[in-house]
Amino acid sequence: MMLEVSNLRVGSGGRVRVDGLDLALPERGCVALLGPNGAGKTTSVEAIAGLIPKAAGSVMLDGRDITNLSASSVARRGLALVPQWRELFVSFSVEETLLAGSNAARDRTPVSTESVYDLFPRLGERRKQLAGSLSGGEQQMLAIGRALMTSPKAMLLDEPSAGLAVGIVRSFVEAVKRVRDSGVAILLVEQNLEIAAALAESCIVLAAGRVVWRGSALAATTNEEIRQAYFM
Amino acid sequence: MSDERLRALWQVLLPGSSLFAVAIVGLLLGSYWQYVIAIALGAAVVGGALAMLVGYARCITLATGAMLAIGAYGAALPVVHLGAPFLAALIFATILGALAGLTLAIPGVRFRSHNLAMVTFVFQAVVIIVLRESKALTGGAEGIHVPPPVIFGFSFSSDAHFLLLCGILFALAMLPIAILLAGPFGKNLRAIAANENAARAFGIDVRRYLIAAFTWSSAVIAFAGAVDAPRFRIIDPDSYGLITSIFTLTYPIIGGMGSIWGGLIGGGILRLFPELLRPLADYIELVLCVLVVATLTFFPDGLASAVLMLRRRGPHKPLAEGAARRDSRITKAAPLSSATLQPNEAANRAGENPVLAIERVSRSYGALRAVDGVSLAVERGALHGLMGPNGAGKTTLFNLVSGFASPESGRVMLGGTLLDDIPIERRITLGITRTFQHAAVFQRLSCLDNVVIGLGRNTVTDGTRRSLAAALDADSSRAEREAGYAALEAVGLAQRAPDAAGALSLGDQRRLEIARAIVSRPRIVLLDEPVSGVSAEEANRLHALLLSINRELGIAMLVIEHNIGFLVSLCQSISVMSEGKIIAEGVGPAMVDDPRVRRVYFGEHETTG
Amino acid sequence: MLAEFVMNVIGGLKIGAIYSLAALGIVVIYKATRIVNFAHGAFVLAGAYATYGVVEALGAGYWPAYVLVPLATGLLAAVVEFAILRPIRRADIFALITSTIFIGIGLSEFYRLIQNTEMLGVPNPVSGRPIFLGDVIITKEQIWVFAGALLSALIGVVIFGYAPLGRGLRAVAANPRGAVLCGYSIDSMNAMAWFLGGALAGLAGVFAAPSQGVSPELAISMITAGFVAAVIGGFDSLRGALFGGFILGVAQTLAAAYISSAMANAVSFLLLFAVLMWRPEGLFPEAKIRDV
Repeated sequence: MMLEVSNLRVGSGGRVRVDGLDLALPERGCVALLGPNGAGKTTSVEAIAGLIPKAAGSVMLDGRDITNLSASSVARRGLALVPQWRELFVSFSVEETLLAGSNAARDRTPVSTESVYDLFPRLGERRKQLAGSLSGGEQQMLAIGRALMTSPKAMLLDEPSAGLAVGIVRSFVEAVKRVRDSGVAILLVEQNLEIAAALAESCIVLAAGRVVWRGSALAATTNEEIRQAYFM
Repeated sequence: MSDERLRALWQVLLPGSSLFAVAIVGLLLGSYWQYVIAIALGAAVVGGALAMLVGYARCITLATGAMLAIGAYGAALPVVHLGAPFLAALIFATILGALAGLTLAIPGVRFRSHNLAMVTFVFQAVVIIVLRESKALTGGAEGIHVPPPVIFGFSFSSDAHFLLLCGILFALAMLPIAILLAGPFGKNLRAIAANENAARAFGIDVRRYLIAAFTWSSAVIAFAGAVDAPRFRIIDPDSYGLITSIFTLTYPIIGGMGSIWGGLIGGGILRLFPELLRPLADYIELVLCVLVVATLTFFPDGLASAVLMLRRRGPHKPLAEGAARRDSRITKAAPLSSATLQPNEAANRAGENPVLAIERVSRSYGALRAVDGVSLAVERGALHGLMGPNGAGKTTLFNLVSGFASPESGRVMLGGTLLDDIPIERRITLGITRTFQHAAVFQRLSCLDNVVIGLGRNTVTDGTRRSLAAALDADSSRAEREAGYAALEAVGLAQRAPDAAGALSLGDQRRLEIARAIVSRPRIVLLDEPVSGVSAEEANRLHALLLSINRELGIAMLVIEHNIGFLVSLCQSISVMSEGKIIAEGVGPAMVDDPRVRRVYFGEHETTG
Repeated sequence: MLAEFVMNVIGGLKIGAIYSLAALGIVVIYKATRIVNFAHGAFVLAGAYATYGVVEALGAGYWPAYVLVPLATGLLAAVVEFAILRPIRRADIFALITSTIFIGIGLSEFYRLIQNTEMLGVPNPVSGRPIFLGDVIITKEQIWVFAGALLSALIGVVIFGYAPLGRGLRAVAANPRGAVLCGYSIDSMNAMAWFLGGALAGLAGVFAAPSQGVSPELAISMITAGFVAAVIGGFDSLRGALFGGFILGVAQTLAAAYISSAMANAVSFLLLFAVLMWRPEGLFPEAKIRDV
């Protein structure tokens, strides 16, 4: 297992936001984390990445314990997060953004910007363009590209299809498949069940901070119970 | 005189009286101490004035030296050049100080924090330069000689006489500051420091309050400078330089930011340091710097406040009689229709339906069309929900309605009144209030104070008038406080009335926000994610609370929420937003089956399978 | 007449170069950590004192000074950030700004205590016959300070704009969360920003020491000039700070020569006020009403 999360709890006292989350991500695997707004998906992913504190539980990356590391250390160890709001640098060019990402890979094998341009040719056409002036889809590609530059062993993608125009979604799904096949384990947080089914072998459904369903992604799309869970 | 009235008067008279008392005590001591105490009293007054500006409003001012100089020269020059009587010169100098504060503040309060500090810095430097260069008038860098004050022929030249004069004059000077700080004016300043947006949403015009604070404190500081000047015999511009401004800042910071006493005691004691610790004179300034930095790091509210905080944990502030009785009956939220929180007939009159009409409103930020041609109507007394994925534009829409952003096209009507050009601060008077996504209570104010601010009577004029009224007649604020208690009671927080809002749990802070939003009996309240981050049980309680408020007071609500179950069961009608547009509108549970809604939340059916 | 004017401009450029260097440090710290460092003048003063220490007290000469002094002041600044400002960061902006004010005054007081009363002096780093261009006299010192300060400033700009370290600082400034995802540690970057800013201040001190003297007044004059220069340049721009410094230096020198020395003093404040009033968008943005 590339990424193992055990018994993750976030929050305490009256405000437990995630409780008892277990998940295992194999190398070259993709697991989807589903659930309605407010279920705790983003909270879980941010806690795994070290951006917010964990009340309990552990996270192992490639066999090593990263539970108590700071977020920047987690990134340097090879767990990349592409957050929901992308968090790009508005005044950086595409090229510079990628170089910024390479900082996390400085103690390990570096990734070349060319490989990212290969994956996202549209970025390659816009190397000098400022990140703030890119379209929504291009920004998403750049965010993923930046994460790739950190030479990750595993990647957490938080609602990457949010705000993407329908036409782009197809090529984006292809790109994520290629990333997965190149050896990066992926944990995909999504609301869009179809996209999740296209990319993930298995999925976990969260509601109100707890796991309410596990199974194959295909089963999830046809399960009426899950659809209802979104409107608890 | 009732207990209450005595206490209120006392609170306002005590600061000044204690200065007078210290002066009297000083008369019993020797001439050296009389000199020193007179200086200390002057510094205490400066500290008290700075308590308003620096302590309450949290503005950084580097212009105190200049204000002192304006007072000193403003009184000395008429006496020296024109032979004016001292009292007249004193009044003139004080008015000059007020004008100076006004001149500085009017352009300055456009800014906050470091920009504001720099404007005051410029003012400070320019005043000193002007004083230095106007040799003919001011004697330039060598300064001028100031004669002892002469009042009705009597010359206050001896140390004892001068100390007595100081005691009287300084006691008077503290009066306006004490009145303002003890009353709603001071509370509103603290609200500004706590959360400007929330303050504005409840009628507090931040710029005007800061201008008023600058004006009052500059006037009092100039007064102190004018009274002290004769003591120094000779005044010169360099004694009122930047260093003076910086070191007067230590008075409220070390003394205590939260109360007038902090400034008074801080000023009095810190000004004495160089006198009392003669052998260490060289190190005083360095020690003070270390003290300030240490205080800011470990006691951000100042040392005196740390002490006062301990005292406040004792008996609570006295409750109004009626409230005390009510208080003992409460175990959970009492029924809403108590005497002081009736549904506002005025609000419900004249139809005015819909109460809120948003018509084809659009707003972009750069390339992003955050709100795109949105139309929405909320009927009188209705509960309307607004949902949609993140980034759909819901909060932007709220900002457009509450005035924090202005629409580029379209318009917003509140019961027939066009809202577009009405500033945020005035919207509460039209009957629209809101809560915020991150509970925007005024952390350091008590729950009761938070809610009383919600009444919206918060213009500078109102604040000043109410503070004066409160000092003279403790009963004047009874009606407000009772309305406040009623609102707190309605949300189940009556027993927390005297506690600081910051001490409440998140759920309770959200209740407090609701109390604050309804106490003015608005026509409509905008609720921004009222149950985000609270537990399921708390969400249920808030659900019941909002329903009962709506039923009993007839207040309409527009609610943003991500918790769809909560929204669907609370609201009679719901609009769904996505990418800036309303994509669906409907009633209750049927919404969740609407294919458009499902597409927004689940994605297209025709993407790759 | 013309010669006199040109000489004044050259004098203005020389002092302007020092101001630019000081302003640059302020802007680097601001851009990277969003703190306006009111103690910056004290850092420049530290640089001047350190210069005295290296050149006079140790008798080591100037070349070591150009290397050691910025290292020392950079370290001082980093320690200030780490030990004092980082804990206060949790508190509000009022505490932060006020702390830097008092740290600045405290440091100046500290030096004054150590050094007592006399003004210390350091010799000129370069000497020799001045250069004559027609009626215009240019001293070697002027050229040295102008060129040296400008070069140092340009190196600072290049580091900030293009070097990996600079990229990290700018990333943290642009989006701390995004920077963390790239493996940058906010704490380390903050300390580095202050180190860089402090080093630039120290260099300003080295260049200023011979002609401005080494005394606590230098702190106030440098913080004033540094701010004004930074504000003129739009505060959020390094290049702007450079221009601002030169504009201020020349304006001050010309005012002193053709109006009065008091006017020279007033010029900085008038410029500051004018920019604050009429070009506030060019200034460092304050907390706007964004996520209400």
